[in-house]
Amino acid sequence: MSDTRRAAGDPEMTTYRDVQLSPDFSELRRRFRRFVFPMTGLFLAWYFLYVLLADYAPGFMSTKIGGNINIALLLGLGQFVSTFAITLLYVRWADQKFDPDAKHLRDQIEGETQ
Amino acid sequence: MSPAMSLTAIGLVVAATIGIGLFGLRISRTTSDFYVASRAVTPRWNASAISGEYLSAASFLGVAGLVLVNGADMLWFSVGYTVGYLMLLVLIAAPLRRSGAYTLPDFAETRFESAPVRKICSCLVFGIGTLYLLPQLRGAGLALQTVTGAPTEVGAAVVAIIVVINVAAGGMRSITFVQAFQYWLKLTALATPIFVILIAWRSGDHPVGVLESLQGAGAEWAEPLSRAGGRDHPVYATYSLLLALCFGTMGLPHVLVRFYTNPDGRAARRTTVVVLALLGVFYLFPPVYAVLGRSFAPDLIGAGADTVVLELPGRIFPGTAGDLLGALVAAGAFAAFLSTSSGLTVAIAGVIDQDLLRNRLHRLTGGDYLAVNSFRIAALLAVAVPYLAFNLTGALSLADTVGLAFAVAASTFCPLLVLGIWWRKMSTVGAAAGLIVGGVAAITAVLVNVIGPPQGGWPKALIGQPAAWTMPLAFITVIVVSKLTPHKIPRGTARSMVRLHTPEAVDVDRGLSPLT
Repeated sequence: MSDTRRAAGDPEMTTYRDVQLSPDFSELRRRFRRFVFPMTGLFLAWYFLYVLLADYAPGFMSTKIGGNINIALLLGLGQFVSTFAITLLYVRWADQKFDPDAKHLRDQIEGETQ
Repeated sequence: MSPAMSLTAIGLVVAATIGIGLFGLRISRTTSDFYVASRAVTPRWNASAISGEYLSAASFLGVAGLVLVNGADMLWFSVGYTVGYLMLLVLIAAPLRRSGAYTLPDFAETRFESAPVRKICSCLVFGIGTLYLLPQLRGAGLALQTVTGAPTEVGAAVVAIIVVINVAAGGMRSITFVQAFQYWLKLTALATPIFVILIAWRSGDHPVGVLESLQGAGAEWAEPLSRAGGRDHPVYATYSLLLALCFGTMGLPHVLVRFYTNPDGRAARRTTVVVLALLGVFYLFPPVYAVLGRSFAPDLIGAGADTVVLELPGRIFPGTAGDLLGALVAAGAFAAFLSTSSGLTVAIAGVIDQDLLRNRLHRLTGGDYLAVNSFRIAALLAVAVPYLAFNLTGALSLADTVGLAFAVAASTFCPLLVLGIWWRKMSTVGAAAGLIVGGVAAITAVLVNVIGPPQGGWPKALIGQPAAWTMPLAFITVIVVSKLTPHKIPRGTARSMVRLHTPEAVDVDRGLSPLT
């Protein structure tokens, strides 16, 4: 449908369409997806695995490591640590990788619309 | 427990809430101030405010109550409440901010160019908000009953009235300050009794027989997935709960609107990191109350588990020390009811105002009214409905009710947002179908829970924690219907995608596109 508007000479639509079709834009979106979706899947799997271990491997989970500390406790605390680590990782990635790439795209668009 | 001291403490919290609200009145003048504090709140303030708003009656009272009754599995509530923020941050926070929409219905309209989809979203915001406000009012009723013996309607009415006054008077700007203050109050109120107990325990002048209660007959309670408290199919229930909390947070109306109060995307990310830390610290304490409750308040396991946090200080320290700590906890609980209810009310009132009220008022008065007045009437409506519902419904535990609100959000707004942001071929019909199918399935489960849940086995598990089947159902509906109706893909999808996925600094038009 955008093509008909493009043919009719709607300049705004053409810019949007061009940006969406541009390799830089798809690359930006692809990068974001390639980082964010696996990350999300990974940490969900990690939580779900913990529940499964508690159900099917109670022997392993209650292995004492020293004093009152067992593997389940360590893994449980590890989840807090990993959640926070993932957040920091994302923030760093967004600041250092994603934002500069996005800025590059911005310069390109603004160059075109002027 | 001494009613006078607790009432004084509650009175102080209420006075401070209204006081800061009035202070805010002088700075909030425009409509933008009311909704999103003119997008100028620093990350630290904002993080405290978000945490203050998010930690509701369910977190302050409910989690401890559930752990007290049902044991270790209920700890996933606190994990899920926190992880939901991370999901929100990585999956949708940035694109949604870029969309320029203030509310979920705004997003639906810009993305799908459809008034019906917008209307469905407005109704869902109202429904989820009501479901979430209900336990806040109930918690307030329980707290005042524990302190003074007054019927539960009184506490609920007190909170309802204060929230309406505060929201109608100040809007979001004052709410931000109120909530930041309330986070710290809640943390102090919950943590102080625990530290006092630990000190008494270590100095040995008080018998705290905690560990004995966890051995022998009570040991099953501390085991994971043990079905303590009569919850069958614990693995399914735990997975379903985790899904609801992880994916439901992004669909809560009061949470989303908060991300707009950041000046830019970078600040929004900073804010989330601080929020995760603040929530993590807070959730260390409710389980401690539950464990102590097994020893000191075993009678609450049968009925009234939601009051364990309020009861415990007085049970462990009879006398003035217990009264003082009890008063502090009661004050913290009221901070929890007030802050969450205020945030929810602002968000729901915004939607009622925009989608249901403003045009009608305009017609009635012939344009002779102020936009802000419409918002005030909407705030009154947003609280009145849950208050009526509270008087009609029975006693579902606080954290369970909130869990169901998350389940509805995860089955409706989560597919709409995730697919709407990432999938170009999503059609308008698909969006509407997903919202309706997911919404009807989840809300039916909620109603069955409220009216009379099945007694046991799979029916009870599936209805009690519906997200594991309602959420995939909604996703599948959106995908199948969108594939069947490719001609209904919104015309402006290319434009929406560019707007959602290019950084905010880019000068693309982010204004609301008029319906075409």
